[in-house]
Amino acid sequence: MQLDRTPCVLGEEARSLVKEAKILVVGAGGIGCEVLKNLALSGFQDIEIIDLDTIDVSNLNRQFLFRKEHVGKPKAVVARETILGYNPDIKVKAYHDSITSQEYGVNFFKQFSLVLNALDNRAARNHVNRMCLAADIPLIESGTAGYSGQVELIKKGVTQCYECQPKPTQKTYPGCTIRNTPSEPVHCIVWAKHLFNQLFGEEDPDQDVSPDSEDPEAKTEDGHSMTDTGNVKRISTRQWAQEIDYNPTQLFNKFFFEDIEYLLKMENLWKSRKPPVPIKWEEATTDGEKTEVKDDDNIKNTDMKVWSINKCAQVFAKTVDVLKKELSGRNFLVWDKDDQPGMDFVTACANIRSHIFSIQMQSKFSTKSIAGSIIPAIATANAIVAGLVVLHAFRALQEQYERCSAVYLRRKSKFSKFVLAADNELQKANPVCYVCSPKPFVNVFVNTNTMTVKEFENEILKKQLNMIAPDVVLDGKFVVVISSEEGETQANDNKTLVEMSVVEGTVLKCDDFLQNYELQIAVNHYEAKEKDDPLFKVAVNPEDLKAKEDIKNGGANGKKEENHDEDSDDEPTIVENPPEDPQEGSSSKRRKLNPPEDSDDDLIVLDEIIE
Amino acid sequence: MSEQSLSAVEAELYDRQIRLWGIESQEKLRAANVLLINCRGLGCEIAKNILLSGINSLTVLDDSLVTEEEQIKNFFLTKESIGKKLAEAILPKAQSLNPLVKITADCENPVEKNANFFEAFTIIITTGIKTDLVLKLDKICRINKVKLISGDVFGMFGFSVADFLNHEYYEDRVQMLPKKRTQDGSVKTTIQVKGQIDYPELNKVLIFPNTKQSIDAIKKSNRRNGLFFLMLTLLEFRNENGRNPQISTKTDDIEKLKIIKKSIVGLYKISTSIFEDSLFEQSFGEVVPVCAILGGVIAQEVIKAVSHKEITINNIFLLDPVTFNGKEECVGA
Repeated sequence: MQLDRTPCVLGEEARSLVKEAKILVVGAGGIGCEVLKNLALSGFQDIEIIDLDTIDVSNLNRQFLFRKEHVGKPKAVVARETILGYNPDIKVKAYHDSITSQEYGVNFFKQFSLVLNALDNRAARNHVNRMCLAADIPLIESGTAGYSGQVELIKKGVTQCYECQPKPTQKTYPGCTIRNTPSEPVHCIVWAKHLFNQLFGEEDPDQDVSPDSEDPEAKTEDGHSMTDTGNVKRISTRQWAQEIDYNPTQLFNKFFFEDIEYLLKMENLWKSRKPPVPIKWEEATTDGEKTEVKDDDNIKNTDMKVWSINKCAQVFAKTVDVLKKELSGRNFLVWDKDDQPGMDFVTACANIRSHIFSIQMQSKFSTKSIAGSIIPAIATANAIVAGLVVLHAFRALQEQYERCSAVYLRRKSKFSKFVLAADNELQKANPVCYVCSPKPFVNVFVNTNTMTVKEFENEILKKQLNMIAPDVVLDGKFVVVISSEEGETQANDNKTLVEMSVVEGTVLKCDDFLQNYELQIAVNHYEAKEKDDPLFKVAVNPEDLKAKEDIKNGGANGKKEENHDEDSDDEPTIVENPPEDPQEGSSSKRRKLNPPEDSDDDLIVLDEIIE
Repeated sequence: MSEQSLSAVEAELYDRQIRLWGIESQEKLRAANVLLINCRGLGCEIAKNILLSGINSLTVLDDSLVTEEEQIKNFFLTKESIGKKLAEAILPKAQSLNPLVKITADCENPVEKNANFFEAFTIIITTGIKTDLVLKLDKICRINKVKLISGDVFGMFGFSVADFLNHEYYEDRVQMLPKKRTQDGSVKTTIQVKGQIDYPELNKVLIFPNTKQSIDAIKKSNRRNGLFFLMLTLLEFRNENGRNPQISTKTDDIEKLKIIKKSIVGLYKISTSIFEDSLFEQSFGEVVPVCAILGGVIAQEVIKAVSHKEITINNIFLLDPVTFNGKEECVGA
């Protein structure tokens, strides 16, 4: 006879619910591995796993279902094999695939008793949130970032959804800060990544690295920009680099001497700033000690130390050479923080630029954190959060939703007794949420004169509003602006919104069939004025934008740029101290930044005990 | 492997945690020698987490034989392990989690070990043992400057009790310096803030009826977390019965628990409403996700104790089986 693995404290009814339940685990990373182990050892018998990723060495310090020999294999597949080893008598199905793929529609979700999210990025979380709302399946959402983490239930009509509260937007940097006036290490790192793409990557006109003569700050009093006086229109950086066969000395002198000399000519920029100091190859390489670029197996000396300018120049030359060879025969290279030459190139270039602008130089180790948007992750936080996920699962299966209030894992502090802090009650849905309210509605602020339909689809509908395959019609008229059918509205792609009669006051009806999601969008014409202004904005109430901007200013520490989810393994949801977490953050509410301890009278004792 | 700095292989493997606690902490971890007494439901969770963290060595001391009940909730075991010595049976899977850690199995009874066996460790973790052994170990640990943490899971309830001696620690705090210039951004610097916690010895913390210990230090606070007394009641049940409450003798065991609670309430002169008797219903078995939570909390305390980075829990951690709040309770200081 088989022993019953379900916890005996649950009672007969709950134990059979566990045995009969069909569970979907979305993500087999840090939290996913722990959740799957808990499920298999707690008597769950029907589990499906979906994960797009393959296994990397840096996963092995916490994703304990994987071992060194699994590196490169799909996470979902290996996770399935390992948990079947714990319990060979259960049914486990693995999908090495993206959950946002069209195959996993509402009917796919409907077959499960419960969905457990163990994701690492906001886009996928938003999508699963919508799918579970549409299928009316309870979802347990979780995340960790460093020592912190959280677990919460999302159930249509009972709790708030993942998108009920606006989340802080990703910090981006204005082009002229990157190109002309960097003041922090991150600005130079972003610039160095752009330089990589200009020389070896996929060319992107938004990633220009040369001085920007249109910088409003650089304009002279009579309003003239420098363009007419001296900006030589030259061939693309890539073309030029190829013509000189990636000669490192010439490249070096161009980016770190000539371009800087040019910047110095924009005198207005340096009235209140320390002007940059251009540096020539000869100067950089004779400067200081003779550094040998040795492959030392001592991480403290290579990765943790800040390189000298001489070493940066040597690494620049060496990596340009390696990357040039890698590029030959290919259209472009894709930068990856785990790719040695690319990472070394960015470290060297960012540091040379930092040196020029008197910005503190960084070790390769910290450059990698910033350039790769790495969120630290540890086994213990994942284990704790995954334990809570499955405890919540026991309750959610019994439909004891009111007992599933959110729980936050926090870094232990001298000022609080809480390591795990639970909300006293469920978070109620936002009545005007643009996802889960009965009539979803949102305002967008875009420049209708310049934004094209394609940009609107990609930047607003997909990136901001997280749709997968939207259909858009002009409300009241039967004009199809965007269709999810391949090619059907291709003719509209390059038209501006104005040309499609999408102007201030227009209402668009958007429909994402996969997500079973309909949204009305009110279009507001808006032009970015200051150089720090965002290019577009999205808000339910225009007044919210004010508040949102305040949060952003308080919370962003400027670590990230565009690709924030690039490497967040274990999904970063929260942060206890706003200045610490630039991430994807705080899943749903900022309230959790001030956890519910004021309601707990034990707290009063705290000081007596600790002090 | 001791004081030398990390190799490139280790830096890559431990990258995501080094970015959190720093390379100095990682170097202290890889010099740490850890003893784990008992590697069952909770023990295997702790072992997993500290093996992954990259300590120097782990010794597993466990004199039990693998039963079927144990096998199904311990991910280090397989069906083939049943009947074998547990400490040895877990070795292959435990080692595969991290080939860099030296793991040793010891199948002797911890009670029969000589005091000098325990001296060599940086920290000792115990699960599922009687209080008299915990107190004996604590005495040995205090003489030899070895840290000690003891934890248990009873059903949905779990706790840990630590004696980290006079523990010095530091935390990194990010400070915003005033802006240097009128332009963008302010400068951040990280400073180290040092602190010290003096842990009470455990015979001032774990005090049961019929002992001569003074309870004054514990009584000092009149706002004790009721779960502390639930913890004492469950520990005393094990001390008296040589086992944890069992679902097969549920009714009898709950009666016994109620009697023990009464004597504890009498000793501390507190009201019986300090915790609900219904919590006893939640105290059977070793619930896997609760082991995962306690295993995470205890392993994190071990990591902090060894690395001296971040403030540790002083000195008891209590997981509420109903609300899932997990709180520090400072007892006996």
